[in-house]
Amino acid sequence: MKTAPPEACSEGDPRFTNWSGSVSFTARKLLRPRDEAAVAGLVRSTVQTGGVLRPVGSGHSSTPLMATENVLVSLDDMSGLLGHDSEAGLATVLPGTGLEDLGAQLDDVGLALKNFGDVNYQTIAGAIGTGTHGTGEDLGNLSSALVGGRMVTGTGEVLSFGVDAGEAPDSELTRAVQVSLGALGILTSLTLRVRPAYHLHRLYVMTHIDWVLEHFDEYAAAYRHVDFYWYPRSDLAQIRILDEPGKLDGIDLPGQVKREETGPSYKIIPNHRDLRFDEMEYMLPRESGLAAFREARERIKERHRAKVGWRVLVRTIAPDQAMLSNARERPTMTIALLQNAELEHRAYFEDMEPLMLRYGGRPHWGKKHTRTAEHLSQMYPEWDRFRELRQELDPQGIYLNDHLRTILGEEGHS
Amino acid sequence: MSHDTALGRTSWAFAAGFMPEDSTGHEPEFTSRDELCLLNMTSSDACAEVTVYHPDRDPVGPYTVEVPADRVRHVRINDLIDPQAVPLGVAYGLRVETDVPLAIQLRHLDTRQAELGVAISSGVSGGR
Repeated sequence: MKTAPPEACSEGDPRFTNWSGSVSFTARKLLRPRDEAAVAGLVRSTVQTGGVLRPVGSGHSSTPLMATENVLVSLDDMSGLLGHDSEAGLATVLPGTGLEDLGAQLDDVGLALKNFGDVNYQTIAGAIGTGTHGTGEDLGNLSSALVGGRMVTGTGEVLSFGVDAGEAPDSELTRAVQVSLGALGILTSLTLRVRPAYHLHRLYVMTHIDWVLEHFDEYAAAYRHVDFYWYPRSDLAQIRILDEPGKLDGIDLPGQVKREETGPSYKIIPNHRDLRFDEMEYMLPRESGLAAFREARERIKERHRAKVGWRVLVRTIAPDQAMLSNARERPTMTIALLQNAELEHRAYFEDMEPLMLRYGGRPHWGKKHTRTAEHLSQMYPEWDRFRELRQELDPQGIYLNDHLRTILGEEGHS
Repeated sequence: MSHDTALGRTSWAFAAGFMPEDSTGHEPEFTSRDELCLLNMTSSDACAEVTVYHPDRDPVGPYTVEVPADRVRHVRINDLIDPQAVPLGVAYGLRVETDVPLAIQLRHLDTRQAELGVAISSGVSGGR
C-alpha cells in the first residue's frame, strides 16, 4: 500500500494545550489531512509503523483524550456542509466543522440542529464523540443527532454506517459511533438529524436558589430549554429559560432579568466563555438529580467555597440509545462543577465525585473524573459489545492512547 | 462637577481584607463578606481596576469594576471570579486604580455568629 502523498496533508505545530490549559503535551507530528483519502493513507501508514493516531478537535476536553507522543490528526481542513435533504431532515457535514459555522451553514439552507451544547467553539466530530449536550427534557445530546456517516477504521478501510450505508439510523454501529471518543475510527463525514431553522427567545433571571429548586420541575416541563447556575458564595441562582418566540410571553419570574433576547437558535443557545476553567460533570438519573444537587450544595458550602467561587451548572438531557452515552436509556440531569483553570481543582472534584457516584452518576467522557474501566464497565450495559466492535475495527489499537486504554480497559501502552 | 474638583482619588490600597469562611442566617443577605464600596461623584463613568494581593502567591488581577457617573456601587469581593476566585478565610489586600477620582471604602460583614459584626475600612489613597 502506498502512503498518502505528501500534498494531501499539511503539518501543524505539534505542541498542544487544551482549552483550559490543564492538559499539555507535544506530539511527534500534527497532521492536517484535506480529505478522506488522505486520512485513509495516514492510517495505513500508521498500521505499518505501529504508531498511534489521535484525532484532535478544539481541545475543549479537560481529560487527555487526545494526548499522544505520536501523531495528532487535526480535521480542521475538512470543514463544511456537504449536503442536505430538507424533506428527510438530514444534513451531511465534514468532521472538522466548527459548531458555530455549522449553525450558520445550516441556517443558510433553512435548517438547524435540534439543540446545541453550552458553547459553540467545538468541532462537530469532537462534540459528538464525547457526548456534548445542552439542556432540555425532550432534547438529546448532540451525539443522538448522528444517524450515519463515513469513517476510516483502524485498518485504513473506509466504512459507511447508518443511513449512509442504507441501514437504520439506530443501527448497532451507529449507536457505537455516536459516543466513541475517537476509538473506533476517524470520522470523515457525519450525517445528522436536523429540523427546519427556528428562532428562540432566551430569558436569564437571577433569583434565589430556593425558588429555583422549588419550581425547576414545573418550568423544565413547560419550556424547551431550562437550566440553572448556582453561585455558592451567595446562594443565588441564574435560571435560564429558552423557547420559541411567543412561548415565554407572560412569564413572570421573581428576581433580576440578566439577559433577554431573541434570535436564530444557533446564536441563542450557546454562551460565550472566555474565562478558562476546569470542569467535572456527572450525569445522574433525572428523578434523583435535584436531590443530588441539594446535597452537593450543602457540601460545597460546608467544605469548598473558601476556595471555589465558581457556579455549578445543572441541566437536563433526554435519554438516547448510544452504547456509551451518559444519557443512555434514562432521563438525565447533569451537575457540572467548575473551577478557575489557574486554581487547584483536584481536592474539590475528588471530594464531590463520591456523592455523584452514590446517586448513580456517569462521568462526562471529556471532563475531569477518576473512573477507570473497572467502574465504567458497570455503568454501560453494552460495554462488552462496544469493546468487541473497537477490537474489530482497530485490531492493532492505533487509535488508543494511554488514557483510552485506562478508561476502556485495554491492555498495552501507546 | 468638573474633574478637577471631584472628591476622591484615583489610587487606593486596602490591607485589611479578610472574608470569614462561615456564615449564619439566610444568604445572600447574611453571607459573611467584604464589599468594595465605590462612590463616583464625577460626571464621567468610572472604570476601576482591582488587583488582589495574597499571603502566598503573586498578585492577581485586574478585576474590572465599572461605576456609572454620579453613582455608588458595592461589589462583593466574595463574588469575584474573573480572573480567579478570592479565597475565604485568609488575609488579602487590594489595590484599586481608577480612571476618574472615586471615594472608596471596604465594608466587612462577619456573620459567623448570629450577632452581626460590621466594620468599615478606609483605604489608603494615593495620587489624585
